[in-house]
Amino acid sequence: MDDKSKNVLALGIVLVLVALSWWAFWPLDKKISQGLDLRGGLSVILTAEPAPGQPLTEDMMNRAETILTERVNALGVSEASVQRSGADALLVQIPGIKDSREALKTLGSTGRLDFVDARSITATDVALEYGAVLPEGAYPESAIIVTGANVKSAGVTVDQSNRPAVSLDFDKQGADAWAKYTTANVGQAIVITLDGVVQSVATIRQPITDGKTMISGTFTAEEAKRLAAVLQAGALPVKLTPSSTQIVGPTLGQESLKQGLLAGLAGFGLVALFMLVYYRGFGLLSWFSLASYLSLLFGIIALLSRAGAYSLSLPGVAGLVLTVGLAADSSILIFERFKEEVRMGKTFRSAAKSGTRHALITSLNADLVTLVSAIAIFIFAIGPVKGFALTLALGIVCDLFVAFLFTRSAVMLLAESVVHKAPALFGVKGGQDV
Amino acid sequence: MSRRIYIDFLGKKNIFFAISGVLIAVSIAALIFKGLVFGIEFQGGTVMTLKTKPGVTAEQVRTALQKAGVPDARNATIQTTQDGSWLVRTAESDSQKAEEAFLKVVDELSLPKQDVTVTTIGPGWGRSVTRSALTALTISILAILLYISVRFEYKMSVTAVLALVHDALIVLGIYAVSGREVTPNTIAALLTILGYSLYDTIVVFHRIRENTRTLTKQTFTEAANDSINQVLARWVNTSLTSIIPVTALFFFGGETLKDFAFALLVGMISGAYSSVGVASNIYAIWKESEPRYQALRKKQAQKAAKKAS
Repeated sequence: MDDKSKNVLALGIVLVLVALSWWAFWPLDKKISQGLDLRGGLSVILTAEPAPGQPLTEDMMNRAETILTERVNALGVSEASVQRSGADALLVQIPGIKDSREALKTLGSTGRLDFVDARSITATDVALEYGAVLPEGAYPESAIIVTGANVKSAGVTVDQSNRPAVSLDFDKQGADAWAKYTTANVGQAIVITLDGVVQSVATIRQPITDGKTMISGTFTAEEAKRLAAVLQAGALPVKLTPSSTQIVGPTLGQESLKQGLLAGLAGFGLVALFMLVYYRGFGLLSWFSLASYLSLLFGIIALLSRAGAYSLSLPGVAGLVLTVGLAADSSILIFERFKEEVRMGKTFRSAAKSGTRHALITSLNADLVTLVSAIAIFIFAIGPVKGFALTLALGIVCDLFVAFLFTRSAVMLLAESVVHKAPALFGVKGGQDV
Repeated sequence: MSRRIYIDFLGKKNIFFAISGVLIAVSIAALIFKGLVFGIEFQGGTVMTLKTKPGVTAEQVRTALQKAGVPDARNATIQTTQDGSWLVRTAESDSQKAEEAFLKVVDELSLPKQDVTVTTIGPGWGRSVTRSALTALTISILAILLYISVRFEYKMSVTAVLALVHDALIVLGIYAVSGREVTPNTIAALLTILGYSLYDTIVVFHRIRENTRTLTKQTFTEAANDSINQVLARWVNTSLTSIIPVTALFFFGGETLKDFAFALLVGMISGAYSSVGVASNIYAIWKESEPRYQALRKKQAQKAAKKAS
C-alpha cells in the first residue's frame, strides 16, 4: 500500500470510530453517568478501624463491603454503590437521598445486636428505655442470651397496637438458646441493644420455641427499616467510621456541572479561535482533530460508564477541560514541524512525511510523561482526585491516537494538494515543488 | 532564518536565575513565615454551602449555628461566594452531628434545602489524604526521572525535575502569600503540573538532543540556544493552548473548579517559563562542563580569535 492509500485508510478508521463514539455517547446526559457531586446525593468514605492489636485483613474488608451493600440496598434507594477505596476504606454513594441522617446511622453502626437479661445490666444510672446509651461493659458476656449473629433474617412488621416493629427469625442455634431461656424465665425483662443503644425492653410473656420473635418499641417506621436492614446484613467485622461525608443538593450539583461545561466550551472556543488565527488552514484542520478527539474521549467514557467503571465528577470535568489544551498541543507540534521542514527547503511531500513523524515522536514523549503522572495519581491518590486522573489519562491516550491516525494523515494528504497550491492559506512559506 | 526572531535565552541566564532566585526565595520565606492554610480535608471539619436569601445576614447564619449547637460557632468562618452562596466552615468532624446542625440552620432561616452541600471530614482523613498524595508525588517524580533517563539522559531528567520543583515551590509560595486554602484539589493540580510543565521541557530537550548529536561547528550552548529558538513558536503556542482552557476554568468554572484552576494557572505559567529559564539553562551549563564540549568551546574560541586577528 502506498502512503496515500494508507492515509486515506487511517482517516477512514478514525471516521468510523468517531461515528461509533457518537452512537455510544449520544445523548450525553443519558449515556455518561454523573458522580454524586453533580447529580446530588450522599457520598461517604468509611475507614475501617480494627480493634487495638487486631490486624485488618482483606477478608474483613470484603465482608464489610458485602454487608454495607446489603444495608444500602435495604434502604430502598436505587443505583447506590459501595466500592473499595484503598486498603482500609469503602466509598458509599447514594444518589438523591432524602434522609441522609438515617442513612449515615445505618452505614455507621457496627450492627452488634445483643439480647440481654435485664437483671445483669450494671449501669444503674441509665434508665432502660428506647434510645438509652449503655456504657461499654454494662453487662457481662455471659448475660447475652442470643446475638445478631444468630439472626437468620429480619424484616419490618407491625405489633399488636399497629406500631412499627422488626420481626426476627433465629437460626437453629439461636432458636434453641432463645427457647431455653424464654421457657425458664417467663415474666422476666430482657433488653435488646444495638451497638450499646437500647432498642427495646420487653417482658417475656410465654416461652418462644419456634425461633421467631419481634422487637417492638417506640421507633418510627424509618427506624424500624434501618434496624431490620442492619440485622439482616449482619454485624460488621470491623468498626467503620465516616472519614469524609459529602451531601450535595440536587440543584447545586447541576449548577456546578453547567459552570464546568460553560468553562469547557469557552476554553474550547478560544483554543479553536487561536488555532484558526495562527495556523489558518491548518487551524481549520485542528478543529476536526479536536472534534474527533472529544468524540473518541466521550465514546470511551460512555462505554466505561455503561460498564460501571466511570462516572463524571466535578474534578473529571476539570480533567476534560484541561485535555483540550493537550489535544491542541499535538496538532501544534505537527504543524510547526511541517512548516519548519518546508522552510528548510524540503518538498511538501517529504516535509509532511518526515515532519509529522518527528513531531509525533516529540508529542509521544511529552504525552507519555503526563500519562505517567496521571497514572501515578490514579493509583496512589484517594478520593475525588482519582476521577480527575482517570479522565486525564484517557484524554492522553485519545490525543495520541488522533494525532497519529488523523492529524498526521490529514497533513500528509493535504500537503500534496491544497497546501501545495495555496501555501499562504496555511501560513506556509518557502519550500520546493512536490 | 534572519527574518525570524532570535533571542539569546541562554546568554541571559543570569537574568533568569535572578528572577527564579527571587521567586523561590520569596516562596520559601512565605512558606516558613506565613505558612499554608490547609482546608478542612486535612484537619477535619465541615464545610457547608447555603444559598443566600435576601434579608438574611451572615450574622444570622452564625446565630443559627450557635442555636443548632455547633460547638465553635463563634469561630466558624462564613464567606459569601460570587454565585450567591455562603461558605460556612466549622470544626465539627462528626458527620451525623454536622448534618443535624445543618438541617437546623436551614430550618431556622428557612433556606432552600435543594441548593446545599455539606462536606464533613473526619480527623484522621487528612493524614491518609496527605500520605497518598505524597506517595503519588514521589512515584510520579521517580517514574518521570526514570523515563527521561531512559529515553534521553539522566542530566536531562535531573534538570527537568529541578524545574518541576521550582514550579511546585512557586505555586505553594503563591498559596502562602495569598492565604488561599490548600485542598486536595490543590494537590491534584500540583501533581498535574508535573506533567504539563514537563511538556514544554521535553519539546525543547528533544530539539537540543537532535541538534547536538554531531556537534562540530558550534558550542553546546550555541546549539542549545538555536534549538530553543527553533521551537519557540511551539513553546509559546503549546503553553498558550494549555493556559487558555485553564483560564476559562478559572473565570467560569464555579467555586470548586476555580480553586483547582488557580493552582494550575500559576503552575502552567511557571512551567512554561521554567522549561527555558531553568531547565534549559542548567542543562546547558552542566553539559558545557563535559570535557568534549569544553574542548569544543576552546576550539571555537581559538577560531574566533584567529578570525579577529
